[in-house]
Formats: sequence, structure tokens, C-alpha cells
Amino acid sequence: MTALITLKGVNKYYGDYHALRDIDLTINAGEFFSLLGPSGCGKTTLLRTIAGLEDVSGGVVMIGGKDMAGVSANLRPTNMVFQSYAIFPHLSVAENVAFGLRRRSDLSKDDKARMVEDALSMVGLSGYGKRASHALSGGQRQRVALARALILKPKVLLLDEPLSALDKKMREQMQVELIRLQRHVGITFILVTHDQEEALVMSDRIAVMFEGEIGQLADPETLYRRPNSRRVAEFIGKMNFLSADVLALGDMIEVDVAGLGRVSVQAEQAPMALHKGAAVAGVRPETLAILFDGETTDRKLVDGVVDEVVYYGDMTYYDVRVAGIDQPLNIAMKNLIGRPVLEVGVATKVVWDERSLVLLA
Amino acid sequence: MFKKLTSSEGGRGLLLISPPFFYALLLMAFPLGAIILFSFWTQNFMDVDTTFTLNNYRTIIEQPIYGALLQRSLFVSGTVTLVTVVLAFPIAYFVSFHVRSDRKALWLFLITIPFWTSYLIRVFLWKVILGYNGVINTGLLNIGLIDEPLTFILYNVNAVIITLAHAFAPFAILPIFVALEKIDRSLLEASQDLGENKVMTFFRVTLPLAMPGVVAAVLIVFIPTIGDYVTPELMGGAGGKLIANMIQTQFLALNNAPLGAALAVVAMLSVTAISLVFVLLNRRWLRGRS
Repeated sequence: MTALITLKGVNKYYGDYHALRDIDLTINAGEFFSLLGPSGCGKTTLLRTIAGLEDVSGGVVMIGGKDMAGVSANLRPTNMVFQSYAIFPHLSVAENVAFGLRRRSDLSKDDKARMVEDALSMVGLSGYGKRASHALSGGQRQRVALARALILKPKVLLLDEPLSALDKKMREQMQVELIRLQRHVGITFILVTHDQEEALVMSDRIAVMFEGEIGQLADPETLYRRPNSRRVAEFIGKMNFLSADVLALGDMIEVDVAGLGRVSVQAEQAPMALHKGAAVAGVRPETLAILFDGETTDRKLVDGVVDEVVYYGDMTYYDVRVAGIDQPLNIAMKNLIGRPVLEVGVATKVVWDERSLVLLA
Repeated sequence: MFKKLTSSEGGRGLLLISPPFFYALLLMAFPLGAIILFSFWTQNFMDVDTTFTLNNYRTIIEQPIYGALLQRSLFVSGTVTLVTVVLAFPIAYFVSFHVRSDRKALWLFLITIPFWTSYLIRVFLWKVILGYNGVINTGLLNIGLIDEPLTFILYNVNAVIITLAHAFAPFAILPIFVALEKIDRSLLEASQDLGENKVMTFFRVTLPLAMPGVVAAVLIVFIPTIGDYVTPELMGGAGGKLIANMIQTQFLALNNAPLGAALAVVAMLSVTAISLVFVLLNRRWLRGRS
């Protein structure tokens, strides 16, 4: 893995507003990297500083080993797919895709036409070249924007919430296509998204950003299973938070979890530094289970009462009240054959396992 | 009948447009028809001979003065249009791209300030500025740049062009401003991201997208200036008179309404022909805009 983009101590101010705070980040060549965070966290600003569309107030942006200070957007080896796609309305599809080729005097007109057709077929728009750009659907516009950027063979493709304007079906389809495309062209992709599912599906690594800072930088599985702070855990997926009391630290951590009792967990289940005393134990809804009649388990059990039922078709989400916990436990159950959908008020047993706990300060 | 009219959507529409429609019919279509009718008649001393004839049009073609006046009018309006639009574009561009969005309304308001005084007074003010003993001449004389007053800036075509270009500037600025405002700023970023610098971005993205506004500005300036009568009358002197002044002369001084009417029709047809070219151009530019 070679580092392609290196950010060192990058800061960005808009007047008094501190949009990026001391960002240090390395993005590798050929990586599918995501910047994930709630709106206003600075992820788009960070993307735009890499593209050269925003100046940095402090710090260094390096691409391919070169300092990008003073290098304007048109001279950087990056291309961008804009959130609005920014398709030129006065140009046809082919003219849009060929826009960046004007300065390539080494290419003949035929070469350029062939490159445009290749780029269009790569994004599944063969034969659309002559169409007027205003006659395209949202998905097609996005493909044109992709082709227009990729035809220039940039070192980095920057994607600013490219899927947010599409409907759910189209979005899922484009996610798969983007992953395939990235593997095919081998170009580093940097994706900005506020959709945690999208980031988990598509990325090799994800930087979760809050208020201009990177909260956690990890691969999707680590991010999901071992969030290093409560806000990362809250932002990515659903999680139950139980108050806990850390009794002893070491290779194994002794902890008393409200409602579940005293357990000892692996040190790696505490991704952030812990102290003895009050802490929070997080547990994902799908790592808990309801013990249905006729089922057995060798894991730990706790009594509860069904408080709320939300039926999703493939899944049912239960809120189960357990003595000693303020908030009911949220539990996700697959609707397998023979499993009834329980009713509110039914007494039940909750299956849990200390290996699925995450301890947070 | 009335109930039937008010009950349907289309009927209500017709009812709503009927007052302005009759107003327009009475005050525009009727006089226009009268002018066209008059142009085929002839003046016979104090009476009007109503037998149909093309004599007026023959006169206009045969006597060089009319053609020359029409040509001069087209030249003046063409120059005014060019000057106005070329000067208006940077102003519109500045307000749209470089003025903070909460101050744009203030800027537009300032641009309309010349309209607060009457057109006639503004023309007289230009006379004060451009005159033999006017602001420009005394100013230049006092700082010693010239030895005698400049004479090429008043009572000729130049004076007419300067005055008209100033008077019509806001009409050109506003449509260009609106067209520039409508340009999605991310298109300009996309152009730079795709390797073009700011100058090429202007020529490949901004200008083509602003063309509908430019064409609108051209039409808005060109059409009224060709028929303008006040400015050439007051600023033009002997050599700066335009077709509108001749029409006035025919109607009032020479008491030849039919020839004046024929001149008006010819002037209108010239404007229509040139405007159609621009409208077709605009169609081409507008093609493919959503």
C-alpha cells in the first residue's frame, strides 16, 4: 500500500467558524475511502480541499508526493463527481464527457470520439452521446458525471454524495456498480456520504467525522463492531447503551452491566481508554435475541417483557423491558420459519453474550 | 352564457384576459391598422386621397434621403446596442458573481436610480455634460488637456449614441444579471475541476449559459432605440437626425401623414426582420435548457 494522499494538520476557517480541525489523514493508492458524518461535519469541505476548490487555512495537502499548496483545481490530478452532478446543460452527453479533453492536443478528433464512447460504455450509456443532457434521468446524469471524470484518468476520483439524489433501488444498484467500477479502473475513490450503510457497503476504509474532526478511522467491520466513542457508535447502526461499572482493568476487564450483571470481557472490547468506575456498555440489537418457545441456548439469559414491536417483513424489532435498565433493550430478530411475532406485554427471555459488548467511557 | 364562462377553467381565463385584450385592441391594434391603411393612401393638399396606391413606398425607395436615414437609424441602434450590452455584461457579472448575496438587491436598486428622473431630464443633463461649455469641455480645458472645446461630442451621432447607451444600460444589465444568476455555480467548479482555468471556464460555460440573457438585452435595447425620437431631436443636431424625426416631420411639419405612415411601416418591418434573427438565435441557445 502506498500513500497517495497525505493531509497534515489541515485546518479550515470560514470567518470564525472552524470547519476543519487539525486533520491528519493518509489515503492509499487504489483504495475506496469514505468520509462519513452528519451534515455540517466538514466532510464535503475536506473533499473540496483535496480537489483544490477550497484553500486550506493551515496545514499541508499532498497528492502523489507533491505539495498541492498554490495548485489550483484545474491543475490537480483529481476529478470530482458533484452532488448535483453539474452536467453542462448547453452541451450534449458526448460534449459533456469530452469537456476535459480539449487541452489534450496529442489526441486526434477520432481518438477523442473513441475515448468518449469507451467512457460511456464503461458506465453503461453506450449510444447516448448525441442526447441532450437535459433529457437524462437522475441515474443517467450521474453516469455521465462519472464518465466525464474518469475519461481524464485522474489519480483520485472524488465523489460528493453522488447517490443521495437517487431513489432507494437505484441507489443500491449504483453502489454495486461503483464498487465494480472502482475495482475495474483501479483509481482511488474518495466518497463523501452521510449514509452509514452506504459507507459500510462500499468502502475499504471509513473516516467518521464530527464537527470538523475525524472521530474514528477504520475498516467497516472494526467501525461497526468496535466503535471508539459513543458518538461513533450512535452514528453507525443502532446500539443499546447500558450503564456499567468497571471493577477491574487488565487483560480481562471486570464490569458490572446494569440489568445483565457482572461479567468479564476481553480488553479489546474497550476501544478507548477506560478508568475504573462509571462507563457505558454498548450492545447491537442483532447480537441480542429473544428465546422463542421450543428454542434452547447455552448463552446467558435475562427476563424481560415486550414493550414495542416493529415489523419489517424480513426482520422484527422488539423493545424489551428488562429490570435494572432505564431504556428497553432494542432487539433485532430474523423472521425465521416457526417464529411468531410476539405481542406487546408478553413475558420473554432475552439471550445475550458478553462477547458482543463494547465498553465506552 | 356568463355562468358557462365562469364555470370552466378556460372560460375563466378568457374572462380574465378580456379587459387587457380589448385595451390592447383599442390602443395598439387599431392605431397600427390605421397606420398601415394610411400608408397606402396619398395626401392631396388638405385632403387625404383614399385610393389604394404604393406611391409612398415608391417614394421611399426612390429618394435616397429615406434610405440614408433608415440606415443611420439602424447603425445608431446597432452601435447603441453593442456598446450597452458590452458595458452592461461586466456590471451584471460583477453583481452576480462578486457581490455578497444579501447586498445584490441593494446593487440592483442602485442600478435603477437613473430611472428616478424623467428620460427628458436625463437627455438634457447629457447636454450639460457634453456641451460646448459643458462639464467635460471645461474640465478638460481647465486641466490643460485640450486647447479648445471638443465639438465631436454634441449635436451629432456620437452624442445620440452616448445618451441612448446610458439611458438603456439598466435594461441590458437586468436580463443579463438574471441569466447569470440562474447559472448553477457548481458548473463553474466542474469546469475548473475538469482542467479549465477561469478564462476558459468563462468562455466555455458562463458565456454560453448567459446567452439567453444577452439576446434578451439586445432585443430590449435595439427595438426601442431604433424608434427613439427625443434623443436625436435634442442631441443629434442636423447630422444626427434619425428615421423617427423624419416620420414626425412628415406627419406634422410637412402635413404628409401617408408618407409618414409608410416610413413608420418600413421602420417597423426592418426592426421585425432583425429581431426575428435574434429570436431564432435565442431559440438555438435556449435549446436544451430545462
